[in-house]
Amino acid sequence: MASLPARPPAGRPPLPPGWTEHKAPTGHTYYYNKETKASTYTRPIAQPQNFHSSFAAAPPPASRPPSNYNPNADLFNPLATPLTNTNFNPNPQQQNFQRQNFHHATPQQDHGGGHRGGHHNFQERRRQQPEDRPKHRYDIPNCQPWVLVKTKLGRRFVWNKDTNESFWKFPPDIMKGVVEFDRIEREKRERRQRGEQSEDENDTMADIEAEIAAAEEEISAEVVEVEGDLGMENEEEYEEMEVTDDEEEKIENPSKRQRTEEPPEDQPLEMGEDDIAWQLAAMEEGYDEEEEEEGLPLTEEDCKALFKELLDDTRTNPYTPWEKVLDSGLLYDDERYKALPTMKARKDCWDEWSREKIHFLKEQRAKQEKTDPKIPYFAFLQSHATPKLFWQEFRRKFKKEPEMKDTKISDKDREKWYREHINRLKLPQSTLKSDLSALLKAQPLALLNRSTTLNTLPSSILTDLRFISLPTSTRDSLVETFISTLPPAPEDATALAEDEAQASKRQAERERRERALAERERRVREDKKKQQRDLQYGKGRLREEEMEIERAMRVGKEGLRGQLGNFEGDGKGDKRRDE
Amino acid sequence: MPPTRTAARSKKPPPDGFEDIEDTLLEFQNKMKDAENASHEGKKKYEMVWPIFQITHQRSRYIYELYYEKEAMSKKLYDWLLKNGYADANLIAKWKKQGYEKLCCLRCIQTKETNFSATCICRVPRDQLKEGQDIQCVNCGCRGCSSGD
Repeated sequence: MASLPARPPAGRPPLPPGWTEHKAPTGHTYYYNKETKASTYTRPIAQPQNFHSSFAAAPPPASRPPSNYNPNADLFNPLATPLTNTNFNPNPQQQNFQRQNFHHATPQQDHGGGHRGGHHNFQERRRQQPEDRPKHRYDIPNCQPWVLVKTKLGRRFVWNKDTNESFWKFPPDIMKGVVEFDRIEREKRERRQRGEQSEDENDTMADIEAEIAAAEEEISAEVVEVEGDLGMENEEEYEEMEVTDDEEEKIENPSKRQRTEEPPEDQPLEMGEDDIAWQLAAMEEGYDEEEEEEGLPLTEEDCKALFKELLDDTRTNPYTPWEKVLDSGLLYDDERYKALPTMKARKDCWDEWSREKIHFLKEQRAKQEKTDPKIPYFAFLQSHATPKLFWQEFRRKFKKEPEMKDTKISDKDREKWYREHINRLKLPQSTLKSDLSALLKAQPLALLNRSTTLNTLPSSILTDLRFISLPTSTRDSLVETFISTLPPAPEDATALAEDEAQASKRQAERERRERALAERERRVREDKKKQQRDLQYGKGRLREEEMEIERAMRVGKEGLRGQLGNFEGDGKGDKRRDE
Repeated sequence: MPPTRTAARSKKPPPDGFEDIEDTLLEFQNKMKDAENASHEGKKKYEMVWPIFQITHQRSRYIYELYYEKEAMSKKLYDWLLKNGYADANLIAKWKKQGYEKLCCLRCIQTKETNFSATCICRVPRDQLKEGQDIQCVNCGCRGCSSGD
């Protein structure tokens, strides 16, 4: 609802006598009455003059919440006023006023003039009050002709499409439907929040929204019709009455008029029953899913284990970031991906799994024997080094090779070995051969024996320059012949025996230590026992002494008298005896 | 004349365990190169640096998680990575502080650079924003990095 429309002055009704029109410094036009010295912004009109005064006397109350406003719902019809006049103040007086106004206007003036006047009034009033207008319409389940209309300000009323009745206060039978509707709405909202809405659901939601929008338009059109019925019971007349609606609607009017020509019975189809049916179905689906989830016997642990298995099976690299794992899309297809309900749980599980996996890999690597980085480099030298190339040239030529880029070996070493190798290549073959045999002979039998092959040569040979200085074919034959002359590794047994001896020694050592430990513990225990016994003894002694002291203390007067009594008794006995 | 210092010469070789993460780091490097060479057509001025910040964040986060949460890296390797600029040490230092666990970039907490000496909008918890308010900060395109979210 934009600014007030600029009205052509020609179309205005003439001012009543005594009133003059002026322009305020702010640009507003106002009207001044010389006789009464009254000034007003509202344009005084000749005919409904008396009416205006009554209107001014009883200014429309500001809109109040309908609950405390409406003592008897039947008396008034919120639809009539709010929907047409857009200031949503269901005041019977005003309704009367409107009707009167129309009745006044129609007979005396041509339609346009009278209604413009009317419109003008409404515009004025609209400025004073918060506007309210129907915003959404919802079907109430199980109460077919009734619909729930929500206004712009968030208030709600029910409206019977067939009978055109509407109430702020829900009648009891409709109340149930409204409660049901609220529940459905809430569930929908919750589901949306949980983000579990599937795409097609979204589509249908969009459809519904579009439909609601369409319905809104039609409501406003329809509502005009209602007003027409109430006001004049005449379709042609009502077309002029649309003036009471706001500006934008006026522009849209042509299409709306066509629509309002349709019988109102067609309109319930907008937010059709199938939509509700769909909603219910969707709800049921939701319930089913939940039940299924609840029905699964899987515990949280199982779910996690499943997900981890999935990660194991897809051979995911535990060092990759989680986002990349997701982007690769390997996980989505698997059922186990859904074992965990949320992305957060999956991420947590991934973290756990990768952590475990990395540690496992680390341990494995630690167990593995470390290969000397020299071995591949020396093999590379054997195949590529020639006396024709200087080190710099050689490096430049092969700088892309992984052996040359390996960071474990420093460039200096590489250069040194290269130069040595080249120098050795210039030596005569015989010396090279003798050097190789010397190298082979120097190896201990534990490392080099008959069971070794060319592929399982010890690293001490592989990392020696003497090994690579001969061309491969001659060298291999030499090495094989040498290996064949070697004894079949009886050293293994001795080595084993040595190992065993060592192990037994270690075992004995351990046993001894254990025994020593046990011995010591026993001694300690004995000591403790002895100490305790001493303590007990001391305590006993102490207690005895205490008792003795106590006994001694008890020997007071009583004790003396007792002793005396004893003596007396003895004396009596003696006397008796004497008698 | 002293010999020229090339990158290969002055660089220490990476410690053990670098091979495991090398591929991922290389990927980040390529991504960064792409982002640097991306066209600015139709982008706002401040939008151009967003991917740079984002990739830096991702890479730092990756290294941070490997070292602190998964303990998959040796201290030696971690230091080497920091020294060679694979991760932003200052950003990681912030992540260790309470309330900054998800911080997107250092510029977003630099209050001296803003008119009202406030942090960036992306530091505001989601529940303190208006309902359905969708933000994207100017510094790095972050959509919200408060710890409570």
